Amino acid sequence: MTVTAAPAPPALLHGVGDRALTWLDKHRDFFRLTDEDRATGAALIERLKPIGELAINMQVLFREGVAGSRQHARAGQLLDFTWRELLDGGNVLAALQHQEPLSPVPLEVYATFHELGHRHPALEAALEVPRRTATWTALEMVPNRRLGVLNAERKMRLPPSADFDQALAATWLGRMPEPWTVQHHIAYDLTHTVFHITNWGEAPERIPPALADYLARYLPAWMEDWADLEHWDLLGELLVVDACLPRPTLDGAMWERYAAAQSDSGAMPIQRGMPAGDPEVVFDLVHHPTLVAAFASAMATSRSLSADAAG
Amino acid sequence: MAEQAQGAVPLSAVIADAATGVALALRGEGDPYAVSRILRQGDAASLAALRVLGADALAPYALDHRVCPGGDDEMVVRQALTAYPPGTDASEVSVWSYRGLVEASHSYLSGGAEPWPQPPQAAAGWVTADPWPKLAHRVSQLAALALPGLAPGLADDLATRTDDLARGFVRAVRRRDWLQAAGVGRWLSRLPKVPQTLGLDAGLAFVRQMSDGEPRVAVHVAAAHRFYGRGW
Repeated sequence: MTVTAAPAPPALLHGVGDRALTWLDKHRDFFRLTDEDRATGAALIERLKPIGELAINMQVLFREGVAGSRQHARAGQLLDFTWRELLDGGNVLAALQHQEPLSPVPLEVYATFHELGHRHPALEAALEVPRRTATWTALEMVPNRRLGVLNAERKMRLPPSADFDQALAATWLGRMPEPWTVQHHIAYDLTHTVFHITNWGEAPERIPPALADYLARYLPAWMEDWADLEHWDLLGELLVVDACLPRPTLDGAMWERYAAAQSDSGAMPIQRGMPAGDPEVVFDLVHHPTLVAAFASAMATSRSLSADAAG
Repeated sequence: MAEQAQGAVPLSAVIADAATGVALALRGEGDPYAVSRILRQGDAASLAALRVLGADALAPYALDHRVCPGGDDEMVVRQALTAYPPGTDASEVSVWSYRGLVEASHSYLSGGAEPWPQPPQAAAGWVTADPWPKLAHRVSQLAALALPGLAPGLADDLATRTDDLARGFVRAVRRRDWLQAAGVGRWLSRLPKVPQTLGLDAGLAFVRQMSDGEPRVAVHVAAAHRFYGRGW
């Protein structure tokens, strides 16, 4: 038995995402690559990360269909903007792939757009050769990142380059270690493991029952702790994990605290309050937690409306 | 401490000394345990320390009943019970803690000439109603009741909240609140069906290690190990 918290009302859940999307839309030009970014491959990969995150999060909003018609249209417009303008219809990814043929990044970013129906045949052809090398599966990366690559292949309906269950078993979460050892980096490892298992919340039922039980048992303790530390970026990711569980808590008090941390502009600070400084600097600091806020809101609103919350 | 007379030993030091004596006894180290050697009759700080430690002051007697009826040990406990009966406005934790000392006297110091006072009624609604963070906090304050035979009703009720206590343990370790973690962990060590995934044994050892030898943490971890075989 456990004494459960009252779930958050859908309007509270929805409001966080609505405000976050407003901010993202208003600041979309900050995602643009500069000529300097394009000049060096390493910098390009760094700059592609937020673009890939923007795409994945807008896809979640688009998919969950809980944002209302105005937001749905806005998410769709942001996806089109990302594909056409930020990625030049995939040409940016193809160029990066040519510079770094064995980097999984172009595949990971492209997979989102492929799932949405966008195509770049030359990039697909170019990805085929590296994927058939032994190096592709031997590339050293942290175990949850390996799941991300496998999920990207799954999204593109490509044959998997490794066994998903074995890759999951190699992650921190897959081993279900002592939950009191979780610290900052482990917490991000476990949230990303859940994102990749579920394809960013699309298929929560793919979380194996033992892992779902483990998460349901200990997630409230982690959420409480990072809420106390006012670490809104990580709390947002943990709220996504909650919304992916068979019986999400959608904890009302926790969502109240999370919503209260959001700035009037809709941006979500990483930790404590909003940073000050040049708009570019502030953007670099808050775009991730704000994307997470949109993601968490879409997932939680969707689960709330499907009436299967634990409360 | 303002209330201490000049030259008097601070209460915290008296508590720490007494707790160290209890922890050593539970680990089977040091001299044979006698509560009257650690906490003196007629000494206000000793009586206050006994109130803080509660049933734990008698925990070593749960190992073997070698106390002499009517001796100094019995007298110091009687003095503490007389000095600090819970008032009508006492908190639930205070009542339970006092009740724990009374129950421990009945269980471990039997055979005296005078009967021990009856345990006071203690409210238990919070055990099933508290949200998990509050529950864990209160349970840690009542860690001394996690002794063999004490508070069986409380143990039965808490057995329905092992998931919530496991959360409390996780949060307390994350917050580096070693005393709370040790107290909750000690109760978990007494309860059945504690989730395997919690890693309670390593957790108790970790808490003891990280607490830098805090004597009350040492008592909780030693009790968990000695009476319930948890931790190492």
